This record gives sequence, C-alpha cells and structure tokens, in this order.
Amino acid sequence: MKKKTYEPVTSVETLHSAIARVREAQKIFATYTQEQVDKIFFAASTAANSMRIPLAKMAVAETGMGIVEDKIIKNHYAAEYVYNAYRDTKTCGIIERDESAGITKIADPIGVIAAVIPTTNPTSTAIFKTLISLKTRNGIIISAHPRAKNSTIEAAKVVLEAAVAAGAPENIIAWIDEPSLEMTNTVMAEADTILATGGPGMVRAAYSSGKPALGVGAGNTPVVIDDTADVIMAVNSIIHSKTFDNGMICASEQSVIVLEGVYKAVKDEFKKRGCYFLNKEETEKVRKTIIINGALNAKIVGQSAFTIAALAGVKVPEAAKILIGEVESVELSEEFAHEKLSPVLAMYKAKDFDDALAKAEQLVEDGGLGHTGCLYVNTAERAKIEKHAAAMKTCRILVNTPASHGAIGDLYNFSLTPSLTLGCGSWGGNSVSENVGVKHLLNIKTVAERRENMLWFRAPEKVYFKKGCMPVALNELKDEYSCKKAFIVTDGFLFENGYTKPLTDKLDALGIQYTCFADVAPDPTLACAREGAERMKAFNPDVVIALGGGSPMDAAKIMWVLYEHPEADEDFPKMAMDFMDIRKRVYKFPKMGEKALFVAIPTSSGTGSEVTPFAVITDEKTGIKYPLADYELLPNMAIVDADNMMNQPKGLTSASGLDVLTHATEAYVSIMATEFTDGLALKAMKNVLTYLPSAYENGAKDPYAREKMAEASCMAGMAFANAFLGLNHSMAHKLGAYHHLPHGIANALIFTNVIRYNAEDVPTKMGTFSQYQYPHAKKRYVECANFMGIFGKDDNDTLDKYIAAIEELKATCGVKKSIAEYGISEKDFLATLDEMVENAFDDQCTGANPRYPLMSEIKQLYLDSYYGN
Amino acid sequence: MNFDQMIAERSSKKIYRDGNNVVKIFDEKFSKSDILNEALNLARVEETGLPTPKVVEVTKIDGKWAIVMTFLQGETITNLISKNPEKTDEYLEKFVDIQLEIHNHKVPLLNKLKDKMNTKISQTDLDATTRYELHTRLESMPKHKKLCHGDFNPSNVLLNDDGSYGILDWSHATQGNASADAARTYLLFHLKGQIDLAEKYLDLFCQKSDTAKQYVQKWLPIVAASQSIKGKPEEKDLLIKWASVVEYE
Repeated sequence: MKKKTYEPVTSVETLHSAIARVREAQKIFATYTQEQVDKIFFAASTAANSMRIPLAKMAVAETGMGIVEDKIIKNHYAAEYVYNAYRDTKTCGIIERDESAGITKIADPIGVIAAVIPTTNPTSTAIFKTLISLKTRNGIIISAHPRAKNSTIEAAKVVLEAAVAAGAPENIIAWIDEPSLEMTNTVMAEADTILATGGPGMVRAAYSSGKPALGVGAGNTPVVIDDTADVIMAVNSIIHSKTFDNGMICASEQSVIVLEGVYKAVKDEFKKRGCYFLNKEETEKVRKTIIINGALNAKIVGQSAFTIAALAGVKVPEAAKILIGEVESVELSEEFAHEKLSPVLAMYKAKDFDDALAKAEQLVEDGGLGHTGCLYVNTAERAKIEKHAAAMKTCRILVNTPASHGAIGDLYNFSLTPSLTLGCGSWGGNSVSENVGVKHLLNIKTVAERRENMLWFRAPEKVYFKKGCMPVALNELKDEYSCKKAFIVTDGFLFENGYTKPLTDKLDALGIQYTCFADVAPDPTLACAREGAERMKAFNPDVVIALGGGSPMDAAKIMWVLYEHPEADEDFPKMAMDFMDIRKRVYKFPKMGEKALFVAIPTSSGTGSEVTPFAVITDEKTGIKYPLADYELLPNMAIVDADNMMNQPKGLTSASGLDVLTHATEAYVSIMATEFTDGLALKAMKNVLTYLPSAYENGAKDPYAREKMAEASCMAGMAFANAFLGLNHSMAHKLGAYHHLPHGIANALIFTNVIRYNAEDVPTKMGTFSQYQYPHAKKRYVECANFMGIFGKDDNDTLDKYIAAIEELKATCGVKKSIAEYGISEKDFLATLDEMVENAFDDQCTGANPRYPLMSEIKQLYLDSYYGN
Repeated sequence: MNFDQMIAERSSKKIYRDGNNVVKIFDEKFSKSDILNEALNLARVEETGLPTPKVVEVTKIDGKWAIVMTFLQGETITNLISKNPEKTDEYLEKFVDIQLEIHNHKVPLLNKLKDKMNTKISQTDLDATTRYELHTRLESMPKHKKLCHGDFNPSNVLLNDDGSYGILDWSHATQGNASADAARTYLLFHLKGQIDLAEKYLDLFCQKSDTAKQYVQKWLPIVAASQSIKGKPEEKDLLIKWASVVEYE
C-alpha cells in the first residue's frame, strides 16, 4: 500500500477541518462530467476489488469476528456488483429529457455524506458507501466503529487513493481516526445527509441529528418452511446463509418455523448437514449465554458455533455449523427469539400455515420490523406466497432464497438492487423501504417548462341545419341507423299545440314505431327523468328524440343516462361534482349510446343544448340542482330546423336570444377559448346583433331572422361546449334560482356589468389556465365589437360603444334596466345576496372566466345590477 | 454537639444521631463540591413535599465536612423484611408504590440522569468499543424529566406502623427516565444476591407503571456500567458481563 499521510482526525476540532476539506473537494467534484466520474468510479471499484483479500483479513483480525473467506466475497460483491449495477447509470447533469412534455431531470450531488459503518461488515460497507458517493459526485466522511476502525479506514483509503489517481479531487473521502459518539454526532449534524448503518441506537441518533438520513435497522428474519417446500434445498440454503460470515449479515435467518408435516425431514436434513440440535439443558445454557438481560452478548457476535457452545459450557463437534434450539415461545422473553448475529438458530414447529405466519409476524415484531422475511414453498402455491407476503411487515420478502445473500440483491434475484444498506421503511424508522442505491444520494432537479394543454373541439357527429331540414335529416334514422323504435321527449305545451306532429308524421312515414313522453316541465326534476326512464325501459327504444327547448332536451339526456345505465341513479351528486378540468375529474361518466341514439331537435333559439354536453336536473326532494357536464352527454345528431321555431312567443325570443349572446361572448373571452370556438362565437354574436331585433319584432313574419337566430344558438352552443362560459352565467344561474327570473333575462341584466368587470387590464386575480398568459379580456371584447362593425377611437371608447350597442339591443328586446324593475324587493334581494354570492363563486362556470373573481367583487356586481348602475 | 449514637458507618462516612437531627460526617476524600451538591440535592428534593430529611446546616466538624439534617422515624424495609419475611410481598409492594410516587415529581434544577450516565460511562475502564456501544445506547433512550432517586433500595426506605414512610439518601438524585431508576434498583437487588426479589420487583414495577420489561432492561447495560466505577471487586464480573452487549445491526 502506498504510504500517503493524512491529517489525523482525533478531535471535534480536527473533524471540523476535515469536514471543511471534504466540502471544498466536493465543490470541485460537483463540476465533473459523467465521463470523468465514470472513470473515477471504475478506478475506485477496481482498486477495492483488487484489495478484497487483504481488507477481509484485516477486518477479521481487527474485530475478531466473522470469516475471512466470506468477507472476501462481501468485498468482492461491494466492488463488482455495485459497479456493474451503476456503470451506465447517469448521475451527472441532465439524466432525462422529454421535449414534448417540457420536462428535464437534472442530477445534482447532495454534498457531503456522513457514513456510519458497522463492525459486522466494515470493509465491504465502506467500499459500498464510498463507491456510490463517488458515482454521485458527493464527498463522504466515514465514522467507523471503534472495534473496526483500522480496517474501515483502510478500505476508505484504498478507494480514495484510486479515485484521486483517476482524477478525483484530493480529500473527497475522509474518516474519523478516533471514533467517539460525540464525533459521530458532529459529523452527522454537519453533513448534508447520513448513510447510517448500525443498530437502532445509531439509526435513531442519525434521525435525531436533524439531517435527512438513510438509516437502516435491525433484522430478525423468520423463515417459514411450508410442507410443500423442497426440504433439501430449503435446509441447505438456510445453512449456507446462516453460516455466512458467522451469521453477521443483518438479513440472516434467526428463526426457522417448520410445518408439522415436514418438521422431522427438516430436522434430519439439518443434522445430516452438520448442524447441532441442543438438548433441553444445553438450550437453557445457550439461552443465558447469547442474551443478557434482553440484550445480545457482545462476545458471541460473529463467532463460530463451536466457540459459542464453549462459552455456554456446551460441548459440540468443532465443525458444528449451527446451534439449533427447538423452542416454542416467539415472545421476547425467549432468548432464541432475538436477533443473534451468530450461527445460532431458533426452530419452531407450526401446526399449519396460518400458525407459521402468526409466529413469523410476532418474530418480526420482536425486532425485525421492516427488514426481511423468508418463505420456502412450492412456487405453484401462489395463494400461500401472497398470504405470506401480505402478513410480513418487512420490506424484503424472499422466496426459496438464502436470506443473507438474497436480501442484498443481484445474487439470487437479478432485479433486486445490489446494496449493503437495506432500507426498512417506516416500520424500521427509515426514510426508504428499498435497497439503498445511487438514486438516494442525488438531488434530482426537475425543470418543467411551460406547456399548453392539449385542447379539443367536440361536437355531435351530425349537425343538420337549414329551414326545412328536419324531415330530410330524419331519413337517416331509417336509412343509416335502421332505427325501429323512437322515444320522443317533449313538453306538454309543444305536444298539445301540435309541434310534435311533423316529427311523428315523418316517423310514421318511415315506419318507425314511437311513443311520446310529454310531461317535461320547466326546470325538469329527477322524478320526471326517472319516470321517463321507466317508460323508456318498458318501450325499449333504439333512438331517443328530444324535441323542445332546454328543459325537454336536458330531461331527455338524463332519461337517456338512466335508460342506458340504471345503476347511475345513485351517482348524480358525483356526476355533478364541480371540476377544475373536465379531463381530470374524479368521476368516470358511463359510456353512452349503447342502447339508443340521441337526436336533439330544438324548438327555441337559446340553449344550444342540442350540441352541448350539458344538462341540468333538479332533485325535487332536496331542491338541489345537478349541473351535469360530460362529453358522453353530447347528442349524436342535432337537427336545427327553423320551421320548429317560427312561433316562439316574443318573451322567449328575446330571453333566449340574449342567452345566445352571452353564450357566445363568454365563450369568446373564456380562458379556454380557442380559434376553433372563436369563429363560431363571433358569428353567433353578429347574428344576434343583426337579427334578434327583427326576430323579436316580426317573429314568423321574418323566417330568415328566425333561421339566423337558430343557427346563432347552435353555433354559440358549439363554442361554449368547448370553451365553456364564465361569471355571467354563474351569477345568472343563482339569480334565476333565488329570484325566479328567466335564465336569458337574468343573463342580460348582469351582462354589461360583467363585461366592464372582466375588461380590466389590472384585475385583482386572473384565471388559471396554461394558455391564458396575461389578462387580455378587454382586447377580446374589442375584437367582438370590431367584428360587429363597432369601432372607437381607442379600446376604451370601443368598449363603451360596444356596451352601448348591447344596452340598445336589450332595450329593443324589452329587457328592463335593473333587477329591481323585475319586482324583486330590495329586502328579499339583500337577504339572499351573500348566499347567492358564495354559490355564484362556486358555480362550475366561474372557473373559465378570464378574471378570477373575489366574492366581494361578485357582490358588487350583483348590487350594481340590482340598482341598474 | 452531642452525638448520642452512631446510626451507621459506611466506608467513607459516619452517620450520628443528634437529638432530632442526624449528622452525616464525610471523610477527607470527598470534595467540597460533593458535599455541597449532596446538600443541595436534598434541599431541592425537600421542596417537593416528599417525606425526606430536611437540611438543617452544612458545617465542618473536627475539620471534616458534615451535613446536619432532620431525623426521620421508621424502620428500613431491609430490616422489616428480615424480621417478617412472610410479609415480603407486602413490603415490596409498598416499596414500589413509594418509588412510583417519587417518579411523579419534577425537580427541574437537578442534574440530568443522561448527563450523569454519559460521564460515568466515560469514566469506566471498559474498552472503547463497549463504551461506544453504551454511549450510543444511552443516546437513543427517551429523555424524561422524572425525579429519580438513583440509589433506591430497601435500606433507604423507612416505614412506620401508621403507614407513613420516609426516603433517605438523596445524594444520587437526578431527573430523567424512571426506567433507568428501576433498572438501578433491579441491579442493586442482584448485586445483593437477591435474584428472586429482583425479578419480583421488576415484574411489580412494570405492572404498576405499565412499562414493558424490555424497556427497563434496555437501561441495564448503562446502569451496570455506571455501577462498575464504584469498583467492588466481587461485583465486577457481573457488571462487566451486563455492560458487554451490542445493539442489533
């Protein structure tokens, strides 16, 4: 070995300077590239590997524990397997990049690691920890156990010198020459993270140091040998593992629980292979030797079976492999139930598999929580394997595997990470539950670049329009879909006044059977939808035709849901749960359209429900309104035929016409607006501004205006089916609900106040959506105005003129100036105001508004609209 | 001063009865701070209202430091047990109850048990490895603030026929984990060779205080190590054996 001298670390003061040196070195190391690091990692592991025999000899000589040949394997493993596992692992800089998702992951070193090394595996653990620190560009300070300090330090030196020769900064690895608890605590408190291997006391000290710790704890591995197990393989695996380094691996078997049926066979095989069964008296002697007052006797750790027997005053053959005590109690009062860190094994007889599991569970509780459990079984017995795994509170569960070799990974299973630091999860008071590796010594920085959501445009598969189109479109029911039975949903007024006749005549002509449900009232109820659904189930239609305004269309959608999925009846509260993003909602809407097509034929130009995924239903028992929104609720076919709308009363024409205008305007300024919805919204707005006055004034006498309004309604529907609405609708919903104003009028009364409110370049808060980059509602309103031919000298002037035009339209259509003028008393209004405010804030529509409202602001808007300000 | 009778003579101190007082005279080998500290401990514990001797004065008698304190009536449990062995269980029960009563008190200015144990472990002549293990073990034990007598054994507890009692010798009092105090008592029984009594005591203590036996046992290596400093040769083997354990890894 090269004779390089190092400044001895023998006091807290010298330790502080050592830590400072490592910190300096690590700062330089942190700038190294992956190539430089991999070269160092290679050189260090090669050096450790080549020194495996001297280091093993030294460890045994110094500690007086364990077996040289086995320690050689451990050193070999720590150098070779760990190198092999991480040779190609990226640990420096960018380790992952996904351009389209805008995600980059960058590995940064943690800094300085405090490594606590146990007496049982001093050199191999030192090799393991220094290698993974080098691979991750960390500095490391080793705190050895006094009993193993020389060999631990020697291992660290080997790794350090090879690393430095390969280009690593000097001092990247340091150690404490004269270990004491005070120094260990100091290094743990000063380091950036702690890799503590040791008993529960050390692990607790690590966690209480206030630094993040990767501590691992005690094992008390129970082995269950099922009666389906291969007994010879099982027993010899256990002997192989239990005798390894004289039983000092923390995962090593401590107890064997054997099912009655194979107990004798197991015992015979143990005997045949040189294990010694203690008789009753000898068992008692060994009991009192291995454990003193509930604690493990330091003298037996890592000693041979022969030595331990001699200490207990028991004579066994010198070659005896394991001392086995056949005991019954799994409680801690039984010394054999403890972890023994030596070739001493407890053996239990279990009357059945469940009994064996109960014993194993207790043994784990006794002192091996989170560590390792083991089962020997015929692997065809999947149920037993699962049951055992479910019962074990251990982070490693090994099947047909020697525990010492199995738990450290990559020897008996090649997907278990090779490691000499085994996490025991929260059960063991650890922060990790897996085998510790390089990933635990890195800070992974995630660079997330702004991305915009995937957006969509969804509409019914077929949207037919043009005055007189209905009979033509209906031909498809026969020609394309071969429908045989149609279920018509409409309201009493339309039914009694013959509005369904053109539809039923056509169905007659097509030879499609039909029945008609005409009992839908405004604000349709669940009771009504359930009744319709019952009728549907009896009639068994293959097409549902909704004919009417918003209410029959909404009711028909709900009937359709209950007809296709009767089990969904329970789910309305879940279906109606507000969402932030319709794609991320919790409830999975049932698949629609498996029993029947849905055809929507509007008779008013307002809701656009024929092309939207929305429906509102009221629970008549509680008064709760369930606003449902899911693309499953989109009709399959919409037939927009102005012939069905010619005789709308004036009030309906104005209210629903103004509703169309708010739909289109809110969809246009929504944070989810896209160019796909913009075109529809703008054209819908323009149609309303141009044709509503005549449609209102002349009704059926101006069929062209009717048709343009019908199309406007449908286009606005498609726009808001995809871009959603805003605060205007949130407030109108509650105003309508509390004070029984027609929906379109409620919208109109608030409309221009909301426009002014939204058109603010410095809003209190703006809406949250990736593509909504900055408050720009004013500009959007100006675009609307311009498209309608309204221009001002600047944006504010345009906005004023635009609002004036809307106010004029409202006046033309007979809309009053304020909520008060609709006969709602100030007292009633103010009494409900706070509740309305909160409910409007919480309305599904609020989320898409470009300005995220404060409740106080909503209140002011309500008050302004009430008094007509 | 009129010394009626010598009550007890220990290796390095003599205790005399003086009317209603007791005078404890220390050998030269005690430092001034030891004596003042013992008096201070006693004065502090006095303030809890426990039936303890009360410090009357700290003085020098014939050039030797002495603490004068009030005399407590009663017979030690040690004597009672030897007089009425059939009533051992009854006395033991009372003994544990009194210890638990002590643990109910807090004396915030007393030395901390943990600090004392750390110092003692460092002072032992155990090897570095064992000391390291013991320090680590101590570090991991829960920190409490209960009044601990530190030398609670039947010879330090007086009982009277009317059911009243007295507790003597507070020189080892600290504040800390009650299980350490119980472990010390258990060890003291063992050192006297009273193994059965030790086990009975521990069972009773654990049962009455609702403590797991293992939890008290965890303190045994630590109290054994601290006891080994007193260095009675006949006790050494047992103490070293008890202290030489390792934590599981």
